[in-house]
Parts: sequence; structure tokens; C-alpha cells
Amino acid sequence: MRPDTWSMFLNPAIWGFFFEGLRETIYISLVSVALSFVVGLLFALGRLSRRRWIRWPSTFYIEGVRALPVLLLIVYFGIKGSALFRPIFGPDFELPRFWAGVLGLSMYTSAVLAEIIRAGIVSLPRGQTEAARALGLSQAQTMRSVVLPQALRLMVPAMMAQLTTVIKDTSLVGTIGIFELLRQGRTIYTQFFNPVEVLLIVATIYFVICFALSQASRRFELGYTPRAARVKIQDIALRDQAA
Amino acid sequence: MPGAIAFEFPQLYFTGLWLTIQISIFGLLSALVIGTIVAVLRISPIAPLRWIGAAYVEFFRNTPLVVQLFFFFLGLPLIGLRFSTDTFENIFRAASVGMGLYHGAYVAEVVRGGLLGVDRGQIEAARSLGLSYPQMLRYVQLPQTFRSVIPPLGNIGIALVKNTSLASTIGVTELLFAAEIVESRTFRAEEAFLAATLLYLALTIPLGIAVNALERRMLVAR
Repeated sequence: MRPDTWSMFLNPAIWGFFFEGLRETIYISLVSVALSFVVGLLFALGRLSRRRWIRWPSTFYIEGVRALPVLLLIVYFGIKGSALFRPIFGPDFELPRFWAGVLGLSMYTSAVLAEIIRAGIVSLPRGQTEAARALGLSQAQTMRSVVLPQALRLMVPAMMAQLTTVIKDTSLVGTIGIFELLRQGRTIYTQFFNPVEVLLIVATIYFVICFALSQASRRFELGYTPRAARVKIQDIALRDQAA
Repeated sequence: MPGAIAFEFPQLYFTGLWLTIQISIFGLLSALVIGTIVAVLRISPIAPLRWIGAAYVEFFRNTPLVVQLFFFFLGLPLIGLRFSTDTFENIFRAASVGMGLYHGAYVAEVVRGGLLGVDRGQIEAARSLGLSYPQMLRYVQLPQTFRSVIPPLGNIGIALVKNTSLASTIGVTELLFAAEIVESRTFRAEEAFLAATLLYLALTIPLGIAVNALERRMLVAR
């Protein structure tokens, strides 16, 4: 290897540059996961609804979005995001790139989380719902005070695992001009012509975060989630293992 | 008709679709081979082999695929490794190899689960009948794994087809890149991406249906 390609990393400014990217990566992941959770919960309940006009569109959204590459959604919002919101916010509206990235990531992640939440709800023993209903709770009350608190607690490990996937997926929003970790790295190696070194460092940073998170979610999982739900969630997770 | 724009730019869309299919097939086949080898390493009785297997899985699963692709595309040529002297061939192969290595880690975890699911009594019986460890793997443990891993492998296949879109970031003119080119020429973003969407769905939905059907048949068979 050429001799001087590592010496630049002695400069603290380079690490500040990486850190800015890392901050953006973490920020966009957290915002996307929070937004996806809310939207995903709505679609999960929608798909479980007894009313066909709610159930069918929810199913269509979940299955349709999950069948698409997340990068396609990100690129689409990157190009057309502003135009989509102009009817609401006026003709001069420019969607910040950060939010275009959040929209692309969240649209996809919400569909995945909807399936995970649904698996959690379905895996609860029927007796829980029946007992609550027999005690005189309405269907909405049963869902809110009995089913959801238990189902969501079961889902904590799966959601932490999904956060890992989202963090990895944020490396895609660099393509629409968000300066996340990988994009910062690309700027550095275009300056210094050392992609091997920079990409190794970037990969290591992602690895440390994702590995720690996946270990933590595994620890949560032990003896916590019913086996049937775990198998179902693993299948969902495999299909949605993007980037 | 939605997606009609694909027929205005058939060269771009259908060449793109064909590249997507090629990368998917090559990636899936290599992921199956790599995954099976790594899974066998992970359950091997020799500890260092197990460590190598575990390190492989954890490294490839916990770093983004794009970072890996950039490394194969930009990094490897600098340390003297090039898939091909032809630029197009080089990025195409980098993408295919990248797909295989990344998804191989997921395949390995699924196959390992299947291998561990085989009843221990069978393994012990095979060994005490005088089969060597490789023979036991070949004739007893691996064949029984095959059936239980098909549905999860199908899900990895679907993920792989979708992930081929990341090859566009290193310049492979597959389906998503084709749609981006058409968009930049026509400014008809909705149509351009809808056409790509429909073509992706044409690949992933039949795969999904096949996986679900297989899953149901497996359940009945058990």
C-alpha cells in the first residue's frame, strides 16, 4: 500500500468530519424509526380491522411497499419530494433533503414494522382478548389497554433489530445528497485518493454500532418472545434485510 | 396505461431488467454456496473454524451493503485486485460478488438454524455406524436441512432481488438506474419510477407467492 494514505487520519479535523456524518446517520435513523413506528402501528391495526375498506388498503400498502427496493423510494422522494408537497405548502416549497430521506426510509420501514407489530398482536393468546371482552371492555379498549401493551413489549427486541437495518439503510440517503457517514467518507477519499482506508474505517464504525445493537436485541429476546412469533418475525426480517 | 413508458425506452428498461435478473441469479447462487460453507464452519467441532464462520457472518451482516459494494468497486482495484479489465464487466462482477458475499451471511444463519434442528440422535447414530464427520454432514445432516430452510431462503431471495438496486450506486445500469436515466431525460418521474416499480413487483411478487405456497406445503408435510 502507498505509504502516506494513513497519515491524514492523525488530523483531528478528519475525525470531526466523520463525526458530523455519524451524527446525521444517527439522527436520521432515530427520526425515521419514530415516524415509522407511528405509521406502522396504524397500518398494523388497519390490516387487522374487520372493516374491509380499511383492511384492504392497509394490506395493499404493506405488501406493495415491502416488495419494493428501499433505494427506489429514497430516490423517488429525492427527486419528486418537493413537487409532492407543493399543493399543500405553496408553489415555492422546497422539501429539505433530510426529510426526503426520512420519507423514503420511513415509508419502507413503516411497512416492515406494521408486519412485525401485527405478528406480535396475532401471537398473543386468544384468551387475553376473550377475557377482556367478557369483562365488558369494548373492542377499542381491549386493543388499547390489554393487547397493545403486551404485544408491543414482545416486539421490543424485533424493533431494536429493525433499528440496525435502518442504520445500515441510511447509507443509501447519501445518493440524494444527505451528508451521512458514508457520504462524508466519500468526500474524504475523493480528496485524498484513499478509498481502501476510508471505507475500512467507515465499515468499522457501522459495524461497532450495528453489532452492539444486534447483541443487545438478542439479549432482550432470550426467553421473552413466544417461539411462533419469533419465527414469524425472523421471516419478516429476512425479507426486509435491505442494504 | 401505467408503466407504458417502459416501451418508449425499451433499450434502457429491458436491458436494465435483464441485468437485475442476471445479478440476482448469480448473487443468489453464490450466496447459497457461501452460506452453506459458512454454516458448516459455524457448527464445526473445531473451534477456530467456528470463529471464522462467526466473524464472517457478523462482519457482513453488520455493515451496509453499499459500503461493501464501494469497497469492491473502488478499493480492490487499488490493492491490485480487479474483477475484469473491462470497466463494465468490472462493476457488474463487483456487484454480483457483493450480493453473494452479503446475502451469504444471511443464508449461513438460516442454514445453521436448519442444521441445528436436525435431531442429535441421528447425528450420533450416523457417527456410531462409522460414517466420518464429512460423510455424516453429506448424507445425514445437510439433506434433512434442505426442506426446512426453503421458505426463509425464499425470503432472502426476495431481499436480494430488491437489493440489486444498490448496484446502481456503483454505476451498473440495472432497473433503478434505467429509471433514473429516463427520468433525467423526460422529467416524467412518476411514470419512469412506476415502470421500474412494476417491473420489480413482477420479479418479487411471484417469488413471494411461491415462498408462501412452499411454506404452506411444508407445514402440511410436517
